[in-house]
Amino acid sequence: MIKTILQFLLLFIILTLLQVVCNHICIFGVAIPIVYIYFLIRLPINLSVNWCMTLAFLLGLTIDIFSNTQGMNALACVVTAALRRPVFSLYFAREDDLANPIPSIQTLGFGIYIKYLLSMVLIFCILLFAIQAFTLHNLQVTMMRIAASTILSTLLIFGIDSLDTKREKRL
Amino acid sequence: MAHTHSVIYKVDYYVSFCLSHLFLYLSLKNLINFIIKYFSWFVFIFYVTISCMLLFQNNPYQHHVYLTSANRVCSAVYGVFNNVTSYFHLHEINEDLHNRNALLEMEVINLRNQLNSVKLMLPDSTAAMAASEHGFDFILAHVISNSISQPQNYITINRGSLDGIAPEMGVIDQNGVVGIVNVVGPHSARVISLLNPQFRLSCKVKGSDFFGSLVWDGKDAYHAVLEEMPKHVKFAKGDTIVTSGYSSVFPEGLIVGTIVEQIKDKNDNFFSLRIALSTDFTQLSTVRTIKNNRQAEIMALDENNGKGKEAEK
Repeated sequence: MIKTILQFLLLFIILTLLQVVCNHICIFGVAIPIVYIYFLIRLPINLSVNWCMTLAFLLGLTIDIFSNTQGMNALACVVTAALRRPVFSLYFAREDDLANPIPSIQTLGFGIYIKYLLSMVLIFCILLFAIQAFTLHNLQVTMMRIAASTILSTLLIFGIDSLDTKREKRL
Repeated sequence: MAHTHSVIYKVDYYVSFCLSHLFLYLSLKNLINFIIKYFSWFVFIFYVTISCMLLFQNNPYQHHVYLTSANRVCSAVYGVFNNVTSYFHLHEINEDLHNRNALLEMEVINLRNQLNSVKLMLPDSTAAMAASEHGFDFILAHVISNSISQPQNYITINRGSLDGIAPEMGVIDQNGVVGIVNVVGPHSARVISLLNPQFRLSCKVKGSDFFGSLVWDGKDAYHAVLEEMPKHVKFAKGDTIVTSGYSSVFPEGLIVGTIVEQIKDKNDNFFSLRIALSTDFTQLSTVRTIKNNRQAEIMALDENNGKGKEAEK
């Protein structure tokens, strides 16, 4: 139990630092990699939604402080965290059958995991860029940003994920 | 008879007392059940409310220092990253500095020649007047964090209140205007970038006296729009845009950018110009914070003016 908590704390810090670096990347002026959402994806699926939202809020607020966005990431994170269970149950109905509650390729299988990951990232990107569009309305640019950022973030998160699972196999 | 009547009355009273308690208990239980059942919704609404409060707190000067990148932890982390990344653009920055240096040297030579030719015409006693008190000081600072892709961009610098930085100081680099200091921590400060729609800068076409306000349109990091230019102003593509000096923040004549094209203004009585910014926001490194020695004086004057106007009313 404590080991899991420490692992997630470490993941929190690493992802925050990684996002601070990623904030400076903007490919073709549209694609912004968002990697910290991986934390929400990895949280155990049987964790209560209250805890999930609290952690999401803290994570979003930390990123907000670093990137001077004032509540933008926090709001998107909380809503994504609230939608996590419904999205998960779309692809995987039998929650009790899971041996390990932490979603990964091993526990869910490749297809379901990819679908779950892509939906979560897409939801988050739509929310984030829709909130940004409040302050700067330019529909075409917003759509481009959502599409490009979703693809880039999913690829990056998949990379991080493969590193993570490799480490787990070794252990 | 009277005795039984009072007993019935007592029983009646007792029953009604119990019932009212029961109802209260039931309604409380219902309430608690309701809260437990929908507790997640309450948590959700709570967090969303806090986020929205932060999000819609529009005035950037009201942001608390702990919630901005000017706080200690953020500036420490950014400082570490900056130690690595600050070397990346050194070549271009060096080139810029050389160009700027050459330009300034030319200007010094020209001015010295002019001064000499003027001195010949004037008697010696007035020469002392030229060396009057200068109004501005520079404080050098390093950019440790900078964003260009957000709708509202901010820059973090590694100098704070202990180094003499105060809110509403202008920030420039070797190429032109960068922004204005906004939240100040002890060792770091946050600057509103020119790439932030919250920041409007009073500018004019070099050589004319008509001014408009420069604001970022959010499209890319290299262009901004100069709005509210009067229709009769004459200009050509490539003309230089400089600060107007009408605020106490920036001195007059700092380079901002050059004209790219004319575009339509929201208001028909004016026109807008698309400006190519001279500052390269993708590779900011060392910036200068402008300390206006007369700012306090001007502010006091403005305040007195305001009071005078109020008194007139």
